[in-house]
Amino acid sequence: MNRLFVALFASLLFVGCKKEGELFSTPAPKKTGVNFINTITETDDLNILDYLYFYNGGGVAVGDINNDGLPDIYFSGNQVKNKLFINKGDLQFEDATDSAGVAGNSSWNTGSTMADINGDGWLDIYVCAVVGINGFNGYNELFINNQDGTFTESAASYGLDFDSYSSSATFLDYDLDGDLDLYLLNHAVHTSESFGKASLRLQRNYETGDKLLRNDNGKFVDVSEEAGIFGGINGYGLGVAVSDFNMDGYPDIYVGNDFHEDDYFYLNNGDGTFTESLRTYFGHTSRFSMGSDVADINHDGLPDLISLDMLPAEEIPLKASEGDDNIQTQKLRVQQYGYHYQFTRNMLYVNQPDGKFMETALLSGIAATDWSWAPLFADYDQDGEQDLFVANGIPKRPNDLDFIKFVSSDQIQNKISNTKLVDQQALEMMPSGVHHNYIFKGKKGLAFEDKSESWIVGDAQISGATAYGDLDNDGDLDLVVNNLNAPATIYLNKTNDEANFLKAKIKYRGKNTFGIGTKAYAYTDGQVQFKELFPSRGFQASSEPIVHFGLGKSEKVDSLKVIWPNQTFQVLRNVQANQQLILAPENSKPYIYRKTNNSPLFKKVEGNLGIDYLHKEDNYVDFNREKLIPYKLSDRGPAMAVGDLNQDGKEDILFGGSKFYPARVFVQQDSTFVFQDLEEIKKDSVKEQISAVIADFNGDLKNDIILGAGGGDFYGKSKPLTETFLIQTDSIFTEGTVPEIFQNTSVVKTCDYDGDGDLDIFIGGHAETGSFGKPVPSHLLKNENGSFIIDNTFNAIQGMVTDALWDDFDNDGQKDLIVIGEWMSPVFLKNQNGRFEKVSDLRLNGLWQSIHSFDIDGDGDRDYLLGNWGTNNKFKASQEMPLRMYFYDFDGNGQTETVTAIPKNGKYYPIEGLDGLSGQMEFLRKSFTSYTSFAGKSIEEIFDEATLSKAKVLETTLLASGYLKNEQGSFSFVPFENELQIAPIMDFISYDFDGDGAMEVLVGGNYFGVKPYHGRFDSFPGALINNENDIILGSRLGLDFTQKSLRHLHVLEINNEPYLLAVFNNAEAETYQILNK
Amino acid sequence: MMMKKIGALSLLVMLMVTSCQKKNEPIVITAEDYHASVDKVTGVMIHDIFSPPVASRIYAYPNIAAYEILTRKNEDYNSLSGQLHDFGAVPEPESTENLNYDLAALIAHMDLNRRLIFSEDRIIAYRDSLYSIWEEINEKEFNISKDYGLKVAEHVAQWMDKDNYKQTRTMPKFTVNSDEPSRWQPTPPSYMDGIEPHWNKIRPFVIDSAPQFKPTPPPPFSMEEGSDFFKEVKEVYDISNEITAKGDDSEEVAIAQFWDCNPYVSVTRGHLMFATKKITPGAHWIGIAKIASRNTDADLAKTVYTYTKTSIAIADAFISCWDEKYRSSLIRPETLINEHIDDSWEPVLQTPPFPEYTSGHSVVSGAASVALTSIYGDTFAFDDDTEVAYGLPVRSFNSFYEAADEAAISRMYGGIHYRAAVEIGVKQGRDLGKFVVDNLNMYNESGLASN
Repeated sequence: MNRLFVALFASLLFVGCKKEGELFSTPAPKKTGVNFINTITETDDLNILDYLYFYNGGGVAVGDINNDGLPDIYFSGNQVKNKLFINKGDLQFEDATDSAGVAGNSSWNTGSTMADINGDGWLDIYVCAVVGINGFNGYNELFINNQDGTFTESAASYGLDFDSYSSSATFLDYDLDGDLDLYLLNHAVHTSESFGKASLRLQRNYETGDKLLRNDNGKFVDVSEEAGIFGGINGYGLGVAVSDFNMDGYPDIYVGNDFHEDDYFYLNNGDGTFTESLRTYFGHTSRFSMGSDVADINHDGLPDLISLDMLPAEEIPLKASEGDDNIQTQKLRVQQYGYHYQFTRNMLYVNQPDGKFMETALLSGIAATDWSWAPLFADYDQDGEQDLFVANGIPKRPNDLDFIKFVSSDQIQNKISNTKLVDQQALEMMPSGVHHNYIFKGKKGLAFEDKSESWIVGDAQISGATAYGDLDNDGDLDLVVNNLNAPATIYLNKTNDEANFLKAKIKYRGKNTFGIGTKAYAYTDGQVQFKELFPSRGFQASSEPIVHFGLGKSEKVDSLKVIWPNQTFQVLRNVQANQQLILAPENSKPYIYRKTNNSPLFKKVEGNLGIDYLHKEDNYVDFNREKLIPYKLSDRGPAMAVGDLNQDGKEDILFGGSKFYPARVFVQQDSTFVFQDLEEIKKDSVKEQISAVIADFNGDLKNDIILGAGGGDFYGKSKPLTETFLIQTDSIFTEGTVPEIFQNTSVVKTCDYDGDGDLDIFIGGHAETGSFGKPVPSHLLKNENGSFIIDNTFNAIQGMVTDALWDDFDNDGQKDLIVIGEWMSPVFLKNQNGRFEKVSDLRLNGLWQSIHSFDIDGDGDRDYLLGNWGTNNKFKASQEMPLRMYFYDFDGNGQTETVTAIPKNGKYYPIEGLDGLSGQMEFLRKSFTSYTSFAGKSIEEIFDEATLSKAKVLETTLLASGYLKNEQGSFSFVPFENELQIAPIMDFISYDFDGDGAMEVLVGGNYFGVKPYHGRFDSFPGALINNENDIILGSRLGLDFTQKSLRHLHVLEINNEPYLLAVFNNAEAETYQILNK
Repeated sequence: MMMKKIGALSLLVMLMVTSCQKKNEPIVITAEDYHASVDKVTGVMIHDIFSPPVASRIYAYPNIAAYEILTRKNEDYNSLSGQLHDFGAVPEPESTENLNYDLAALIAHMDLNRRLIFSEDRIIAYRDSLYSIWEEINEKEFNISKDYGLKVAEHVAQWMDKDNYKQTRTMPKFTVNSDEPSRWQPTPPSYMDGIEPHWNKIRPFVIDSAPQFKPTPPPPFSMEEGSDFFKEVKEVYDISNEITAKGDDSEEVAIAQFWDCNPYVSVTRGHLMFATKKITPGAHWIGIAKIASRNTDADLAKTVYTYTKTSIAIADAFISCWDEKYRSSLIRPETLINEHIDDSWEPVLQTPPFPEYTSGHSVVSGAASVALTSIYGDTFAFDDDTEVAYGLPVRSFNSFYEAADEAAISRMYGGIHYRAAVEIGVKQGRDLGKFVVDNLNMYNESGLASN
C-alpha cells in the first residue's frame, strides 16, 4: 500500500518536475549518441542469490583516447559488451567500439580505468572482470592504444591478465620510479556464515585478495606480500582511494571493504612497502564500505576522504531495512574476532595535521544517501568549495526486513533447499531500491547542503560507476554515470558562465606521461585549494586526468604550486582564470616534505610522571537493562581531584574507583608522582565514583575527601550508590558520615554558600537507575561542624544534572550556583544568604555535559562555556522541533520505557525500529504485523494520542556546544564553530598555555556510551580556544585525545613547571608537557 | 491441507444447509475441527516467529481453556482448577440451554490463540469463516456457546496475564562477556542475543518452581585435552565430521534434520538475507499428540485432553530447561570448536540463540513423551509425518520414548549440543513429565472403567 503510494507520488513528481536541474542538464542519449545501457538479466542460474554483487554494475572511464583534445567515454558492462564513445565535439559522441576493438571478451566486466600504461602519451584502457564463479570466464583485459583509433588487447604480455574477482584497478607510481604500478582491488565471495577472525586477511588467496603490482619495465610483478598488502578471503574490496594522505611524498592507499572486514589504510613507507595503519588513524569506519573519494574539503592542504555506505535518509526504507548492529554483536566482533568499529553510514574523514582523521559525516549532512556506490568530489558550481556527487540505487533491497522474516520463507525456502534456485517471483517480493542520486553543495566549516532536488533533476535510476570530465570543453566538470538497465546519464554542467575556473592537463616526463600523483595548490585571496591527480576515483571508474579548480569570482590564481611526483616543484604566479593550462616540469626545484610546520604546544610525557593510572569500566551494558535509552549512564567516571593530601604543600592526585577497582592516590614527590596505598580508600572497591573533591571540611587544616558515586548499575537502596566522606586525621583517613542519597551522582562541588566559614557541598543527581528520564533531585549538603546534613530548603533542581559551577554571576559578593544537565536548560540560582532563587529563563534545553567560566569575548566579564552533545550525531533538535524523550510505562507491565524520537520533516519518529520497540513493548507486534506497516510511521501513529499524553516528555532544543555571552549580566547563547561540534565536550580548563600572558581554554571530549545507531563520537582531537574567533584543534597542538573519551583536564604544577593532566574513561590517564611555558 | 479441510467442512455444511432448509440443526464439533484450530495457530506461530519457550506458552493456555469447558459436560475428565498454579474455576454458564460445550471449547481455543499470537488477522479470518457457517446452522446455539466460550477465554486470559510474561519483556538482556571462556556467546550467522533469559520467572503450570528439576551440572569447563568437558567438545566435532563425511544420506544427518525444529534459521548471502522457518520442538510434539489422537480415533474430549496434558508438560519443561540454561550459561560447541579446534567448522544444524545446557529438545521431548505415554501407553507405534510440510520425510517409532530419545541424540548429530546436555536433558524432561503426570488428575479412573 505504502509502496504503491510512494510510486504514485514519485511519478507525479516526475510529471511535475522540469527536466533540467539548475546546475546540470541531462541530455538524452538520442542527442548525444551515448546510448550505452548496462542491461543485466536475472536468470535462474544467475541472480542476487547466486552472486552477491550481481547489482554492483559496470564501470566508466573518461579520457581523451585519441589526443584530439576532447574527452572520450568508455563503459564496461556486466553482461553486455563494453563500449567506447569518441567525442566528436559539440557533445556529439560516436560509438567506436568495434573499430577500436575494445568490446571485451569477459563474461562479467566490472571497473574500467584509463591510464597511459606503456608511457607513450596515449591513454590505454584496463577493464576488470569477475572470473571463475557463476560460470564467468575471461580475464582482466588491457587495451593498449595503437595511436590510430585501434587498440590491442595485451593484458597477458603485461602480466595483467588476472582471472580473479576484480572490482576495480587504480594506477599509481607507489615507488616513485617513474612508471605506473597497479593496485588491483578484488572482492571476496566468502560464503562462510561466521565472521571468522580478522586475521583471515593474512592468508593470501588468489581470487579474492587484492594485489599490488609493480611495473618492472612493462611487466607487472605481484609484490603484494613483500609490500605488506593483505589478500585474504574476507577482503570485500569495493572502494580504493589513492592519495598522499600523510604528505610525505609517497602515495598511500585506502581500501574500502564491504561487510565485516575492516577497511585498510596503507601508509607508504617509501621503501616499496606499506604499513596498514587503520586503527591508529581512524576511530571507526563505514561498515558496508562501497566507493570512496579524496579531496581537500577544508582548505588546509590535506586530502580528506569519503567512504560510502548504504544508510537511507527516508524513514520508510530506513525502518523497513535491516538496521544497525546489535551492540553486543558489535562488541563481540571487536573484542572476540578482532575487527575495528564500523557503522552503517557514509563516513567523511577530515585529515588532521597529525595524520589522524576527524569523522564528520553526520555534522556535514552527508551520512545518509541510501544504497550508495560512487562519490565524486569536485567543485561543480565553481565557488571554490568542493561539492559532492553520490550515485546510488539498487534494483532490489535484499535487506528488506519483511522479505527476510516473512516473505522469503514462504516463497523461496523450498526452492533454496531443494534446487538452489530462486525464481523471478520471489525476487520481485523485494522492494525496489531505486532512488535519486544526491548532489551536495560544499560550504564553509565542513558543511554540505543537499541540492539533489535543484541542481539535478531528482529522477530516480539505479546508478553506479561515475566519472567526471569536461565533455564539452567549457571549463566546468560534467558527469557520466553508468546505470543499471537504463541508458547511461550525462550530467552536463551549466556553470561556466556563472563562475570562474582553472583547468590543467599535465604533461609529465618519463613513462608517467599524465603525471599521476602530481599535486597542485591554488592560492587565491589567501585561501588554498589542493588537488592531487589520481584519476581512478569513486567506484569502478576513472575520471578525466585533469586538475580542476573552481575560482568563484576570482579572475586569477595568485599562485599555483605544482609538486611533481619526483618531489620537485615549481610555482606559477598570477595565473588567469578560465583557461586550460598544460603543466609540464620546468625549472622545478627539489621539494622537501616536512612533517608539519606547526609548532606543537603539548608533548606527551614519557613515563607519565609516574601517574600509572588506568581507568577500567566494567562489562555492564546499560542497554541490556534499559533497552531503549538513548545513551549510557554507567560510563561517566572516573572521579578525579587534585589537592595536597599529605601536608607537603604539593598537589597530589586522587582517582575515584570503578567497579572492583578501588580509588587510587598518587602523591607528588620531587619530580614525579608515586602511588600510595591508602587503607580507607581501598575499602570502597565496588563503588563507581564519578566526581571527587579534596578540601578541608573540618577546619583542621588537613585536606579531606568527598567522592560522589554513580555508575548506573546499582539500584534501589544499594550502598555503592552513596557518597564517601574521608576525613584526614594525622596521616590516615577515617570515614566520616554523609547523608545517604541513593541515586547516581554526577558531580560534587564545594562552596561555603551559607557564609559560615566552612565548606558546603552541592551534589548533582544524574538519574535513578532503571528509570532513565525520571527527573531526580540534586542536593545541598550543609556542613555543620564537619558533618553534613541535607539542606531541606534547597529543592530548585529536578533533572538529569551533569555539572555545576559556583560563581558569583551577579557580582553581589555571594557565590551563586549554575547547574547544567541533560534534557534541561542551564539553571542560574542566585544565592541570597544561603537561599537560592532561580533567576534565568534561558530555555536552552540541551544534553549539557560541562560548564566553565571564561571571558571568551575579552570584554572583561565572565562568559560561560557550555559543553553539549555536539551536532555530529543522529539526534536533531531545534526550538521549534526539539528532540523528544517519552518516559512512561507504555505496556502497563510496571516497568517504564524510554522512547526517544527525532524530528524529521515536521514529524517525530522513534530512533528505534520495530524490533527495538517491540522487544520492550510486545503489543506493538500486534499493531504492526509487518515492517512495511511500521516503516514511516510517526510516533503519534505508533502510540495513540491518549497514551502519549500520559507520558512524561523531556525535550532538548539545542545540541551545539557554545557559550553564554555575558552582556551586562544578561546572557545569550552563541554556538561554537563546527570544529567544536564533532563530539560531546566533557571538560574545559583555563590556563595560559601558550605563555602569551592571556588565558586560553583547553577543551576535550568524545563519548562512546551510545548504540551503533550513532556510532562512536571518537574523533574530536581537543581544541584550544584563544577567543571566540580563534580556535585551534588539538591535532595541531600535539594533543592526542582521539579514540578516547575525556573526563577531566587539569594543569599540574611540578617544580613550578606546568603539566597538563588528561583523564579518560576506560583508558590510561595522560600527562603532557606544556612547551611554550 | 488445512484449506482442503475447511473446504470440505464448508461443503459439507452447505450440503447440510441446502438439504435441511433453515432447520436449526445441532452444531457438531469433531476432533478434526480441533486439530484444524491447532494447526492454524501453529501456522501463525511460524509466520510470526515465536521462539520455542514462547511457543510452548501459546499452546498451553488455549488448550486448557478448551479442556475446562469440556470437563463441564464430560464426567470422565476433571477440571484443572486447583491443579494448576493460581488457576481458579472457570465461570458457570448463565444457562445451559442450547449451550454446545464442544463448540464453546473450540471458540475459547480460537479466542486465546488470537490473543497470544501477533498476526490476529490470520486467526480472525479463519474464525469468522467458521462463525458464519455455525451461525447459518444454528444461530441460537452458536451465540450462546460463543458467549460462554469467550467468557471462559476471558477468565483464562486473566489468569494467563498474571504469569509474569509481560514483566519478563522488560527484564534485562543476557550480557555477553567473552572474557569468561565458559560463558555462552552469540553464534553465527546472526549472532542473535540470547532469547528469553528470564523464562524461569514465568509461572509454571504444575511443577513447584522452575528449579525443581534442576539437573546435575555439566562437566566442569576445561579446554585441557583429556578433561571430561574437552572430550565432550571433541566428541561433537568428531561425530559431526564422521556423519558429514557419510553425506546427506547418512542416518544421523537425517535424524538431525528431522528434529531440527528451529523456528528461524537465518541464511545470509551477501546483503541478501532470508529465513527458513519451521515449527518448534514443542510444536513437533503437539504434532505427535495429533497423530496419537487421530490414530486412535480419539473423540473431541480425548483429543483435547491429549493436547492439554502434552502442552502443559511441554510448557513446564521449557521453564525448567530455561532455568538451567541461564544458570549454567554454557558456551555452544560451535564457538569452542571454531576457537580451539577448527575455525571453519560449521554444525549440521544452525546453532540456536541460547545457552547450551541442557538441551531444550531433549527436556521437552522427555516430558512430552511421558505425558503421551500416560495416555496411550508405552508401546504406541506411529509414523511421524509432522515435518512433511517442511520438506522432511516420515520417520517411524515404536514408542513415544523411542522418539524422545532420538530427538535428544539428534542434537549431538546436529552439532549443537554436547552429550551431557542430551542425556541429562532427557532425564530432566522425563522426571518432570512424571511429576506432571502424577500430579495432574485429569482423567477419571471410573471413566476408564466404564469405557
